[in-house]
Amino acid sequence: MECVSAPAAAFFAAIGSSGEDGRSDTWYRYVVLQDGSTYVRWDSVGEFLVAADGRRITSRRFEDASLESFQVYMLGQALSFALVRQGFEPLHATAVVVDRHAVAFLGDNAFGKSSLAACFLEAGYRLLTDDLLILGESRNRALAYPGPPRIKLFPKIARRFLGEGAANRVQMNADTDKLILPIDEHRRHGGPIALNAIYALVAPRDVYRRPGVTIETLSPREAFMELLKGTFNRRHVNQPRLERQFGFMARLTDLIAVKRLTYPRTIDRLPEVRERVLADLARDVRSARDVEPGFLH
Amino acid sequence: MMISFSERLSVAPDVLFRLVGDEGVLLNLNTTLYLGLNPVGTRMWNALTSAGSIQAAYDELLAEYEVEPAQLRADLEEFIGRLLGQELIVAGPATEEADRQA
Repeated sequence: MECVSAPAAAFFAAIGSSGEDGRSDTWYRYVVLQDGSTYVRWDSVGEFLVAADGRRITSRRFEDASLESFQVYMLGQALSFALVRQGFEPLHATAVVVDRHAVAFLGDNAFGKSSLAACFLEAGYRLLTDDLLILGESRNRALAYPGPPRIKLFPKIARRFLGEGAANRVQMNADTDKLILPIDEHRRHGGPIALNAIYALVAPRDVYRRPGVTIETLSPREAFMELLKGTFNRRHVNQPRLERQFGFMARLTDLIAVKRLTYPRTIDRLPEVRERVLADLARDVRSARDVEPGFLH
Repeated sequence: MMISFSERLSVAPDVLFRLVGDEGVLLNLNTTLYLGLNPVGTRMWNALTSAGSIQAAYDELLAEYEVEPAQLRADLEEFIGRLLGQELIVAGPATEEADRQA
């Protein structure tokens, strides 16, 4: 995949030739152009043009955007369009490594994926990816691939689990307090690794006043539906993509245990959640030996 | 929606079905509707979409489950109504084999 930068005129020309006016009243803009390419932009961040075959991302960083913030959007949202165009099915998940296996936390924005992962980092476990998870398959095992070495956290969570100095970092965008924190090589895992389990996080609104931490193994049908909800990119929905996604989620359901994780969203309870997850994993360990990478389409 | 048990049901075009474990999942590519079936629903789906007629599927299920005939008929009618409503199946004439058995 090729990533190139281009001046504003290139985007103006691409949008103009498609009959779009290029203006937006919202901070997020998404347009499929006549040639099949996808235009996406985020105010105060940048704009991206993803080729119809997903092999090229043309980008422009806006003047008021930090490089870190721009990269988060390029290697997350914009990349997801390219991946889907290429036939991949990225999940909206953050993953850590426990005993040489990846463990993924699946959930929508603000579900607490990164906060829970930060709690694992505090205990010495390594980060595999934050927010966007690419999966492969080898010998009937699912493989999880590493993402960029950074994690997005609110300052309070960053201070608590990554230390006081961690909070002095770049803000993700003007509309959130979330920070972008680099993860050094001692705290990250840099290669593909067998995926052991996926924990689908129950929405914070659904755990209101529910004090307990619970883990429930989902039936294959429930797992399929949770995985489907956890797709990273919901914008691109033509029939070939839906058909491929259907097969992918069903295959993943065959390969991986999917569990529903319910817990109160308070920082002080996160170590307890971590220990519950670790205890659950200890009961369900599979070998990660002898796997060779290959992408799961 | 009333439907005759002499008719035959088949999976609608652009509908995908897949077995995951002992449960079924469905996708209607036209409406982008996903649907999950529990094990009993999955068994009913398989019987209905593979038998030569609804009656043949009914007979098959009646022999398999301990259920009152009237209850099974009502359950099947409700299930079929929902599947038709979601455009997941289409009704047509029974196959010749089903006609001979009838």
